Amino acid sequence: MRRSLALLAVALTVLVAGCGGGSDSSSGGKTNIVLWHGYVDVEGKALTAAAKRFNATHPKIHVTVQNYGNADYALNKVLTAIRGGSYPDIVYLYGSWAANMARTPKAVDLAPLIKADPSINWNDFWPAERQAVAVGPKIVGVPALVDNLALVYNKKLFDQAGLAYPTADWTWDDFRAAAKKLTDPSAKQFGWAYVNDASEDTVWRFDALLWQAGGDILTADQKHAAFNSPAGVKAATLLQQMATVDHSVYLDSGNGNYANLFNSGKIGMLFTGPWDLSGFPDVHYGIQILPGDVNHQTISGPDQWVMLDNGDARRNAAWTFLKWFTSTDEAMQWSLATGDLPIRASQTQTPAYPTYTARYKGIGTFVQNEQNAVKARPVLPTYNEISQAMGQAIQAILLGKAQPQQALDQAAQQVDQILAQG
Amino acid sequence: MIQKALGSDHLAGWLFVLPAVILIGVFGILPIGWALLLSFQQNDLLATPTWVGLDNYRTLVHDPVFRDSIRRTLVYTVLFVPLSVGGAMGVALLLRRPIRFSRFYRTSVFVPVATSTVATGIIFNWLLDPTYGLANFVLGKIGLGPYGFFQDPDQALYAIVAMTVWGWLGFDVIIYLAALQGVPEDLLEAAQLDGAGRWATFRHVVWPLLSPATLFLVVWSTINALQVFDEIYVTTRGGPLHATTVLVYYLYNQAFELFHAGYAAAVAEVLFLITLVFAVFQLWLGNRRVHYTS
Repeated sequence: MRRSLALLAVALTVLVAGCGGGSDSSSGGKTNIVLWHGYVDVEGKALTAAAKRFNATHPKIHVTVQNYGNADYALNKVLTAIRGGSYPDIVYLYGSWAANMARTPKAVDLAPLIKADPSINWNDFWPAERQAVAVGPKIVGVPALVDNLALVYNKKLFDQAGLAYPTADWTWDDFRAAAKKLTDPSAKQFGWAYVNDASEDTVWRFDALLWQAGGDILTADQKHAAFNSPAGVKAATLLQQMATVDHSVYLDSGNGNYANLFNSGKIGMLFTGPWDLSGFPDVHYGIQILPGDVNHQTISGPDQWVMLDNGDARRNAAWTFLKWFTSTDEAMQWSLATGDLPIRASQTQTPAYPTYTARYKGIGTFVQNEQNAVKARPVLPTYNEISQAMGQAIQAILLGKAQPQQALDQAAQQVDQILAQG
Repeated sequence: MIQKALGSDHLAGWLFVLPAVILIGVFGILPIGWALLLSFQQNDLLATPTWVGLDNYRTLVHDPVFRDSIRRTLVYTVLFVPLSVGGAMGVALLLRRPIRFSRFYRTSVFVPVATSTVATGIIFNWLLDPTYGLANFVLGKIGLGPYGFFQDPDQALYAIVAMTVWGWLGFDVIIYLAALQGVPEDLLEAAQLDGAGRWATFRHVVWPLLSPATLFLVVWSTINALQVFDEIYVTTRGGPLHATTVLVYYLYNQAFELFHAGYAAAVAEVLFLITLVFAVFQLWLGNRRVHYTS
């Protein structure tokens, strides 16, 4: 308890002190910049390799990449570092934090840089990516990673149940019926899995359902909650019926067990993204776009490279690196090495693109699915609070502790309050 | 005059404790003062803070999640302290007897203390998984369950109690084993000669002599229990439906997930007061009831 907390604090202090950009940023005409990220394994290696390539071809700049651990908690660490006055030049952050970063004066507003420099070819990034990094007139980051949710299913379980594989025009009813049929309590086998820890992981899967039913998270003026509309209730009722009536959903408590269970053939279908695929070496899986109601929308989770201001020289160096790193050629190299989705539309036109879709089976579905990522989550500094209120409501519905309308109304009331306080 | 001052025990004493004083000052006292200041501000750790006086405290009074988190913290403490301290005394008394493999048992009891909280959390997440966990499998064999454990809002807090008692019992056992070494053999012999049975010997000789250790453990465990965090962070993350949102978890959520640092500091001040009241009360009680040898 306390002992380990103290240890944690010490460790963090040491880590932060150790990771800090360092004051002597230029030596011998070379500008040293520091990049923080949370990539591991294949992606970690790819990033190190990219930095090496950059350093070899740019004698005036030296990029050092440092891993800050789990990206889920990166915002804390970055804010602590900024508070401490020693922070990196580039940092990998989730798209949902754009509005938080826009408030710190240390984050560089990229809008003027992008305007002055057509070589970045800004409109080549997917619309969902550009939406996610725009906070009012400011642009907080350069797109780093994009993904979306699709339906990943275990072919063997479908065959055993005598079910036809999901099609692109699957409805919610088709989906629910299949999940029910794939569920076998005696074998501890479930049709579907849902992350039920009330975090953003719980909320964003609901967002996709909400949009499919024609609903929205907030009203167009972003002043009021809108998720308690009939569309929202319809989406929440689907969750409720599947979890508490059909019992066809494995409720994951947020520790990621669902991925292991899917790989063990215990779960028939998942709403998940490309990042999970490498965790399923043992199952023969298929990928299809999400089932739909009014439409088949998905949700996109774009992440970003945020630049922090350490003076002109380092800022320019960081901009040079980001432009190089997110250029079509480099981005395609990255996709080839890691399987991550193209961050630029032009990547699909490169000669290497067919190699990429051949190497990562089914990835083409995710690339096409990016067109179904029509709407974005609200970019507001209070987004975490909104998400938390929604998360509690969805969790209560999944656990059968509240009715959809009542739970969503209560959350909407909280969200209205949060929005009123700004 | 100066020489006299330098040579005095007083100054020498201060010089000896100076390193500790500096460390505690910088990492203990200073943050406490800063937190107090913070609790009067609206501060998101990003933009410039604004002074809001007692607003944070006024909001606290009307915050149902905060009120519930106090209640949960107290429930947790009231269960955790007697179970861990009482359980440890029982285990220590058993382990003191000269039995075979007693060293092995002592080591086994202490292993959970040395295990990292994260590892413990992962193990319990799997053990207590409602569908695939070993706990429900075993309980099912004797016709009980299945239970939701961490995933049932009505059970999660008790599951945390069980997990933390398991995790911390070993520490208390070591303290009690050490204290039991301090019980003089001649007193036990004298009690035996006077015809005291096993229970009477425990009640009138061993129990009073263990009371300093008991006082220490109760105070220490209470302070720890009021500040429980890690175990919750690695298992339930305050859920489901806030069922395990204790004070420190709520504070963490407010400060580092929602960036209401000023509000979180106000929560911390309340926690500080609660801890203070508990500690003072226990020490006062201890002074009246604890027996020291010699």
